Amino acid sequence: MIYGAWICLLSPLVAAGLITLGGRRLSRRDAGYLATLSCFVAFGGAVATFIGLLGRDAHDRRIVSTAWTWLSGGSYRSGLEVMIDPLSVFMMLVVAGVGALIVGYSIGYMDGDPEERRYFAYMAVFVFSMLLLVQGGNLLLLLAGWGMVGLSSYLLIGFWHDRPSAIAAAKKAFVMNAIGDATMALAFFLLIKQAGSLEFGILGGAYSSTTANLVALGLLVGAVAKSAQLPLQTWLPDAMEGPTPVSALIHAATMVTAGVYLIVRTHAIFESAPKVADLAAGLGAGTLLLAGLIALVQIDIKRVIAYSTMSQIGYMFLGAGLGAYANGMFHLMTHAFFKALLFMAAGIVIHALAGEQDMRKMGGLRQFMPRTCWAFLVGSLALVGIFPFAGFFSKDSILAAAMERGTYGYVLWIVGLAGTFLTGLYTFRLLFLVFWGEPSAFVREHFHAIKRDVVGVSMASTVALLTVLSLIGGWLQFAPLWHPVETWLQTVAEPVVTPTSWQEGISSALAVVLGLAGIYVAWLVYGARRVTVPHFAFAQRTLEHKFYFDELYDALFYRPAVRIAHACRRWIEEPLISDSGRELGEDTRDVGGLVARVQTGLLRTYALAIASSVAVLAIVFVAVK
Amino acid sequence: MLGPSIAWYLSVAGFLFGTGALGVLLRRNPLIVLLSLEIMLNSSNLALIGFARHFGNGDGQIFALAVMAVAASEVVVGLGLIVALNRKRVTLDVDRLNTLRG
Repeated sequence: MIYGAWICLLSPLVAAGLITLGGRRLSRRDAGYLATLSCFVAFGGAVATFIGLLGRDAHDRRIVSTAWTWLSGGSYRSGLEVMIDPLSVFMMLVVAGVGALIVGYSIGYMDGDPEERRYFAYMAVFVFSMLLLVQGGNLLLLLAGWGMVGLSSYLLIGFWHDRPSAIAAAKKAFVMNAIGDATMALAFFLLIKQAGSLEFGILGGAYSSTTANLVALGLLVGAVAKSAQLPLQTWLPDAMEGPTPVSALIHAATMVTAGVYLIVRTHAIFESAPKVADLAAGLGAGTLLLAGLIALVQIDIKRVIAYSTMSQIGYMFLGAGLGAYANGMFHLMTHAFFKALLFMAAGIVIHALAGEQDMRKMGGLRQFMPRTCWAFLVGSLALVGIFPFAGFFSKDSILAAAMERGTYGYVLWIVGLAGTFLTGLYTFRLLFLVFWGEPSAFVREHFHAIKRDVVGVSMASTVALLTVLSLIGGWLQFAPLWHPVETWLQTVAEPVVTPTSWQEGISSALAVVLGLAGIYVAWLVYGARRVTVPHFAFAQRTLEHKFYFDELYDALFYRPAVRIAHACRRWIEEPLISDSGRELGEDTRDVGGLVARVQTGLLRTYALAIASSVAVLAIVFVAVK
Repeated sequence: MLGPSIAWYLSVAGFLFGTGALGVLLRRNPLIVLLSLEIMLNSSNLALIGFARHFGNGDGQIFALAVMAVAASEVVVGLGLIVALNRKRVTLDVDRLNTLRG
């Protein structure tokens, strides 16, 4: 079982290394096969670990396997260790499983791209980094994985590096992630000072409330940055510049959910700092509303799904912040299924329309790609949370948990319900605009079906598998009746709130009703086109500008930074550094010129010099004597 | 000891040395400069001989012979240079020969 965990962790890294070293000796298709194989091997390792843990008693499920002592300085020791416990195995299964499917899908999607090998190497590095994050045996390794997924995200968003928009988006993502990395590092410094190590066990220790609040805040900012929540959410829509499988894997299923994982993993310190936990829940609620509103006016397929991701992670933060850890993690799992499905189906649509992503040009694709439409429909229903699809079971439990927390909880509950309505609205707006109605002129002209070769099969089979998972995945936990997920995670993260069956029922009923209402409104406006949206210019402008966050950050941070950089260059770098080098050379040459004047070329000058020196020496000699 | 005291020898040698030095510094013809240089060398020879007579041993005389050998070789080289200059029709004026300058 320990071998399983190490194989799971290292297999994608080995694949990345082989692809890098193989270079042109590997065909592009083979690089794809290698990467996919490694992810399936990783999944196998995760399953083996899971089975191994199942065989143990519930309270004996925490194993730390150390390879060697990695860092030691003073009294601080840190090993290269892998943690095998229910939470990490849960994440391993999700990451490796969904990752394998998406990398397999990429074989079809990225076929023909001249830099395909680099892509698969980066994807393998990403899967390794994400597994390191979830399997890291101490906070330091978690941070290492954290940084590396940020790096992989930067590399993959900017994969098509001749597009300036892609490069700008990659930089933006990385810089905003770096803010989170910095605050997390500060939190860790504080922990080392107070507790002397970064093992997971220290999080449950007794700290002064200032320390606990600061550490939790640092961790929260890190999670907010990584998961694109308010106020650090601006990088996620821009990240859609990367290839669609990248959006599916990194910006939907796994990396952006790392923030939720972090909060659940370090829940002990959040429980010691309840105000910060409430802040987390509040930020999640705010984000889900904000993202839902912005998604209503987007015209790019991928951006709608991106905002939907932002919104759903808001739900997960809501759950984790309130203390409903198992619910949050369960929603993470089902979300991985249907969100990856939606992205991949959208990728098939984009491929069929030769790269077009503007929804206004689409319409009526149902007639051309019926199965993709079905897959999209399943994914959308799962997203909105309609029974019996996956989202119903996970999302509604989070809402129910919000009812347990007094007035603040009820406010969050109402926000969550409003979000359900918005989810139904924007998701089915997307579906109807793309697939319903009469085929638009653009579609008729540009549509070409995907052939039934390896490309087509790889894309179709992985999407089909995810459709099945979105259909049945939710049945894993039906909160009032059976909850294996909660039981599984109980030894790691005991839920703080457990809603009653009555609360669960009310929440579910309301959520489903609101979701259906959203779908109905979308049908009226975009499907049957019986109602037109009233045009509020102010609201339209605000939503299209994404609540002006980009402009705000531009004015607050970017422009002052640019001004400071220019001032530094003008007042410090040029005079002190570049000019001084040049002036040093010039001055040396001038002095040399002065000295050269001694050499007149005239014999008598030299003779005079010798004679006078001798005279001086003689006088000095005599005087000293 | 018969004859003049060493002071006379040294003063003649000094006078000769000064004359030679002035000639080296002030004359323009390189041939005359070489000649003045010879005078200076001979003055030092005279001083050496004087001291040899004063102390009664032959050290100064031996050293004077060595100095004469050096002076002879030096004159060979110098005269060779001047003859070469003359053959090239270059003006023999040390004030004008300043192309080797910095």
